[in-house]
Amino acid sequence: MAAKKKNFETQLKRLQTIVESLENGELALEKSVALYKEGMTLSKECRTQLENARNEIRLFTEEGEVPFEEETSAGAGEDQVK
Amino acid sequence: MSKILTVRELTDALKKTLEGAFPFVWVRGQVSNLSRPASGHMYFSLKDADAVLNCVWFKGNQRGDERFDPLTGEVFEDGPRPSLARTMQNGTEIMCAGRLNVYPPRGSYQLVVELAQDVGLGKLFMEFEELKKKLSAKGFFDSMRKRKLPYHPEKVAVITAPSGAAIQDFLRISGSRGWGAQIKIYPALVQGDLAAGELAAQMDRVNADGWADVIVLIRGGGSIEDLWAFNDETLAENIFGSRIPVIAGVGHEVDTTIADMTADVRAATPSHAAQLLWPERSMLVQSLDELEIRLAQRIEQQLGGKEHSLNTLERGLGWLSPVQRLNRIDEQFMGLTERLDRALTLKFEQAERTVQYGEERIRRAFGEEAITYQLQKIHSLENRVQWAGETLLAAAERKLDRASIMLESLDPAKPLERGYSLVQKADGSFVRSVEDVAQGEHLNVMVADGSVGVQVETVEKGSEV
Repeated sequence: MAAKKKNFETQLKRLQTIVESLENGELALEKSVALYKEGMTLSKECRTQLENARNEIRLFTEEGEVPFEEETSAGAGEDQVK
Repeated sequence: MSKILTVRELTDALKKTLEGAFPFVWVRGQVSNLSRPASGHMYFSLKDADAVLNCVWFKGNQRGDERFDPLTGEVFEDGPRPSLARTMQNGTEIMCAGRLNVYPPRGSYQLVVELAQDVGLGKLFMEFEELKKKLSAKGFFDSMRKRKLPYHPEKVAVITAPSGAAIQDFLRISGSRGWGAQIKIYPALVQGDLAAGELAAQMDRVNADGWADVIVLIRGGGSIEDLWAFNDETLAENIFGSRIPVIAGVGHEVDTTIADMTADVRAATPSHAAQLLWPERSMLVQSLDELEIRLAQRIEQQLGGKEHSLNTLERGLGWLSPVQRLNRIDEQFMGLTERLDRALTLKFEQAERTVQYGEERIRRAFGEEAITYQLQKIHSLENRVQWAGETLLAAAERKLDRASIMLESLDPAKPLERGYSLVQKADGSFVRSVEDVAQGEHLNVMVADGSVGVQVETVEKGSEV
């Protein structure tokens, strides 16, 4: 999962590089089309990742890590801790 | 146990005792949990290291700016001092005079303040200022040593109370940001005497684990005492010594703790900490959209350009192709043929027109019309000749007729028809007078149908027939 997420940043950077090189250089048509295809694939993958993005939340305890449940009523806002 | 009391009875007894024992009392402490509602009354607690006293300072008892010391009566020579009611803050150490009051519905007691006086900066505040000065001298707050947070950390250690509002705020905000991260909560008390030790210990543990990309130290809002654990020197040292970058978000925007100042990044609130860690997901989607659009635009542009030059080349190539050339020659040929055709047709038409003209002239000169014309002329002349002839003949005839009528009238025999007679002598001469005849002579009397021979008997003169 972490590897896959690392992928997002790499993919986004790669996508940026592709767009910039397409914009800056007069590339051969075949090269451009190949880059375009790669770019669109990257964009699609990034989009899917964003759509499915979830934080994995765990609570550290002396007995080991346990999943941490977020409160569903998320409207609390800033509040005093009593 | 002599008697079982009701709550009310006990409370009343306490009220009597307390209010009786402390009708007016001086008490010294540090202001905390200060609130100034719209009513103008002030509510706060007086506290020291071990105890808390709830206080109320009604509006009617609050003074304006003071011109003299209310305790000594000494006049302030350097001008009036602003009212403590206005300047008082959490942490201010004050002396209050007032009476104790028991409030039965809540089972609480409070000091009803009549008079209050600042006795200098609070002890806690002094401690805070001292520690701040000390740590500042050690370079804890130097901006030079502060590290940048990693962009979009994937592994985040959060040191806070798992049951607090802070972690919920933090998680709620982080849920709509970034592309997914692992968040590990290291639980710690965040207020009370044990809090500072637990927080500092968890700082060490996270560093020992070495798993996290960033440490998040958060706590929700509270009174200055509630937040006091974050002004701990050991905690500050652990933050300072952390190998992992630390972001702290303690209390509300206005609260600033030593931990906040020592951390690499200070967030105003726990929610703000989440905002600083990860970019908003919708922004990521937007930049993805933008990249995609640029990608598509660029490729379309290039393909468009290539298509254009392809079209140009295709046209150029087409110009050179044999088929096109043949077509062109054909066109040329057709053009020439047409011109030739047109020219010939023109010539023919000209010639034809000339012939027609000639014919016309000939026809006019020698044609049917001309002949007819001449014939007409002839006819006309003929007619005239005929007419003239006829006229002449008619005139001649008429003349003849007249002549013959005249002739007829001159015919001597003619009157005979009407009964006249001609008398002829024997010598053939006609008797015109009595003298022409002699008695007895023989005469021939001619009548219309013959002649009669007679002899003259008498001759008498003068008698007319």
